[in-house]
Amino acid sequence: MSTKQVNDNKDNKNKSSFLRLLLGNLFGSRKELSLMEEEQVQSPLRTVVKTFKSNKVAMTGFVLFIVILLTVLIGPIFKPIDLSFSETSQQNIAPGYDLMEYPDAIVGKVADIAVGPTFSVATSTDGQLYIWGKTRVTGVVDIRNLPRDQNTKQLIDMGNLVRVAAGFDHAIALNDQGQLFGWGNDRQRQATIPMELNNTKIKDIYAGYQSSLVLTEDGRSVYFGNTMNNDYNEFHPYQGKLAKIAVTADAAMGLTVDGEAVYLGAQQSSYSRIPENMGKVVDIAATASTMAAVNEDGQVFVWGNISVQGEGTVPETDSKIVKIYGGRYHYTALTENNDVVGWGADYYKQATVPSSVNSADIETIYSGFYQNYGITKDGQILTWGLKGYLFGTDELGRDIFTRLLNGGRMSMTIGAVAVIISTTIGIVVGALSGFFGGKIDLVLQRLSEVVSSLPFLPFAMILSALIGNSMESNQKIGLIMVILGLLSWPSLQRLVRAQVLSVREQEYVIAARALGVKEMNIVFKHILPNVISVIIVSATLSFASSMLTESSLSYLGFGVQAPQPTWGNMLYGANNSIVIQNYWWRWVFASIVLGICVICINLVGDGLRDAIDPKSQER
Amino acid sequence: MLKYTSKRILYMIFVFSIMSVILFSLYDMIPGDPARAEVETLKELLKPDEYQRAYEQARERLGLNDPTHIRYGKWVKGLLKGDLGMSAVHKQPVAKIIGTPLKNTIFINIFAVIIGLGITIPLGIYCAIKKNSTFDKAVQVLTIVGYSIPVFIFALLFIYLFAVKLGWFPVSGMATPNFKGTEWQAFLDKLKYLVLPLGVMTIGSLGGITRYVRAAMADALTMDYIKTARAKGLKEKVVIFSHAWRNALLPVVTLLIGWFMSIFYGSLIIERMFALNGLGKLLIDSLNNQDYPVVMAIQLFYIVIALTGNLITDLSYGIVDPRVRVNK
Repeated sequence: MSTKQVNDNKDNKNKSSFLRLLLGNLFGSRKELSLMEEEQVQSPLRTVVKTFKSNKVAMTGFVLFIVILLTVLIGPIFKPIDLSFSETSQQNIAPGYDLMEYPDAIVGKVADIAVGPTFSVATSTDGQLYIWGKTRVTGVVDIRNLPRDQNTKQLIDMGNLVRVAAGFDHAIALNDQGQLFGWGNDRQRQATIPMELNNTKIKDIYAGYQSSLVLTEDGRSVYFGNTMNNDYNEFHPYQGKLAKIAVTADAAMGLTVDGEAVYLGAQQSSYSRIPENMGKVVDIAATASTMAAVNEDGQVFVWGNISVQGEGTVPETDSKIVKIYGGRYHYTALTENNDVVGWGADYYKQATVPSSVNSADIETIYSGFYQNYGITKDGQILTWGLKGYLFGTDELGRDIFTRLLNGGRMSMTIGAVAVIISTTIGIVVGALSGFFGGKIDLVLQRLSEVVSSLPFLPFAMILSALIGNSMESNQKIGLIMVILGLLSWPSLQRLVRAQVLSVREQEYVIAARALGVKEMNIVFKHILPNVISVIIVSATLSFASSMLTESSLSYLGFGVQAPQPTWGNMLYGANNSIVIQNYWWRWVFASIVLGICVICINLVGDGLRDAIDPKSQER
Repeated sequence: MLKYTSKRILYMIFVFSIMSVILFSLYDMIPGDPARAEVETLKELLKPDEYQRAYEQARERLGLNDPTHIRYGKWVKGLLKGDLGMSAVHKQPVAKIIGTPLKNTIFINIFAVIIGLGITIPLGIYCAIKKNSTFDKAVQVLTIVGYSIPVFIFALLFIYLFAVKLGWFPVSGMATPNFKGTEWQAFLDKLKYLVLPLGVMTIGSLGGITRYVRAAMADALTMDYIKTARAKGLKEKVVIFSHAWRNALLPVVTLLIGWFMSIFYGSLIIERMFALNGLGKLLIDSLNNQDYPVVMAIQLFYIVIALTGNLITDLSYGIVDPRVRVNK
């Protein structure tokens, strides 16, 4: 048997025994040994593992930490982050999956559903109004606050409502007497019904971003709301000829009774470049930035500011499309055979039509923003699209859960790299200083004193601000790792040095010297493995403190910069009382997960120290 | 002792000069041209060649044409004269700006340290004596939680609970605007504003120091001389406070002095969160406004404090433990 084989055998034996120990202890398959036997066969590592495992607190911390670690390592694969993403319609939404939780009372008697960014408004066939979802649009505006009489402050009796429309932050409703009601955000007077509409017969109502449109029975359109942001020409040539209207976030289009899609604005824009030769248009719809029309042959034309998200790529269908509905960045269409197809942006699965919907007999669809409601022939309601957010959204409409997952990975990576840097420096400096002593020791110790006497946080801030000023976000992440690593090695260095000093004079070192082993090899191959336990404990604890420091730095705005998330900089926006009070989910979840993670690492570190150094347990 | 002290002071000066070189070169690395910034306003008024001349003059006056080491020399000379430079944002000498914030920071931190010490030392000693009791274990778990959670999270919680939900204390600031009353009332008003920040700071510092005191005390209590003292029939109080505590003091002293030093920079995050006009807030604001002379002055001040702290720690070893004195 060659030496190599012997070594292999030895390795295998070690491995299998460790595995057996792990599995055996996990599943309890091994029979318990008596005390004497155990003492004989137990290697130091086994003792450590066993002591550690008998420490319930440390084990709990360990398991929890592993769970968090795996979550932030695997989670981002399923929930990747788009750093450039922001969505104004989804800002500061509270946690919960109730965006499409329609009330049971409405099933079977839907008259109309209107979808807003985070809420939906509906009327039933018996004229009742229903509102669901996240209705608190801003700190003061709540869609659930129905219009009140200005003098008596009593709720206005709206009668039997037949139509509703939901805009960005307001809603309007029409009753069977032809009366209109508006509520919600009224800063641009988009919820204030103009007097001229009092004696007009109204056919349909539409609501958009800070604007409302009314289609009268005689084919005229009446606009109210913000006239600066929205391109709408009151005197457009199609007054009196309109059959339907669709609104984008900043413009409106109409469908004339002759089947022509027309632009209702005054300015030349990509909206006004309506495709020619569409033939007779039967239905129109609009997303936030595009317009679409369906002609008699079921052909769909999309124009406007078509984004990369794919509003323009209409899928092939078996039967021809007859109806089309627009969401925020997607279209949903109904075919002759009552099949439903969706296309466009799909990050909330709003354009992916579930099979249950396709197998059902869909009669009408209500789409808007990121929600779709399909009404079957027998009155059932099927929903698909954005249900809500597990942990809510932040000030830019980004999903906090996704950011927590990705931010966790970033926080842990920074902590880990910083620890690797500081541990490497600490080991090298400590080992050299302890083993060689003399002048080397003197210089290295003074250096270490200088570094350790620097006030950590202010100095890290200054370094990050001075050097990182001109850096890109990725370079800055690297810089933070290096700063944390470079500033936190002295404590480990001192530990290693002390340990090396104590083992330097032991027999095996003298033996190694006598054998003529090189000094460097003695230090790093013979002495270091004997002080590894101290290093492991120290590295674990400094992993925790690195994560803490990173989060403090990022929280103050001197660490990793947004949009790249870390647990620290996710709290950056939360340092004013308005956010703390109104949008608690923006700081609570990040705080909890950061706190738990650091506590777990510290528990593991403490447990390891107790296991490795039984003397400390006697305390 | 005297020789040792003077050696240490020499060493301090050496370290300080190294740090000043590092800081100066960092400062030097910042992109930007102060001379350009100074004459920028004249650009509209002057002809191009006059403007160029004004720019050259400004460069000359600010010493930007000199090589780095000469500029460093000038800067150090200024420092020694007490000239810390001009703040670009406040348009005032840095030495003038730093006064009030420094006073505020010391005021806040002295309270925090006193409250902290008042809690941690008795608690640590008690835990060491009642080692492994339920109380001790509960404290151990709580202290881990205490030092694992960053102060700003405690601050967020405190603001949410006590300022927003309960409305007991103001959220930020140091005094009620336009407050009228006697000096005593003004002091009470200030205290009201400081309750939350002080509470957060105390909680943040409890964990680590309690554990440290407990560990040192527990170590001392296992020593043989404690057994001897007990065997002699000394009262438990005497054993603990006279024998054990004095010996436990040595490791604790390092920590305590470090903590006292943090009186000057310990409240960085808290000052910012509660909008307290302290040194830490000034540092953050100056960094954000790129007002580097102020940043440099504060950082140099921190380094001096840290080095002094080191010296005091080493000297106090000798006072606390005569054995250390013999070696030096």
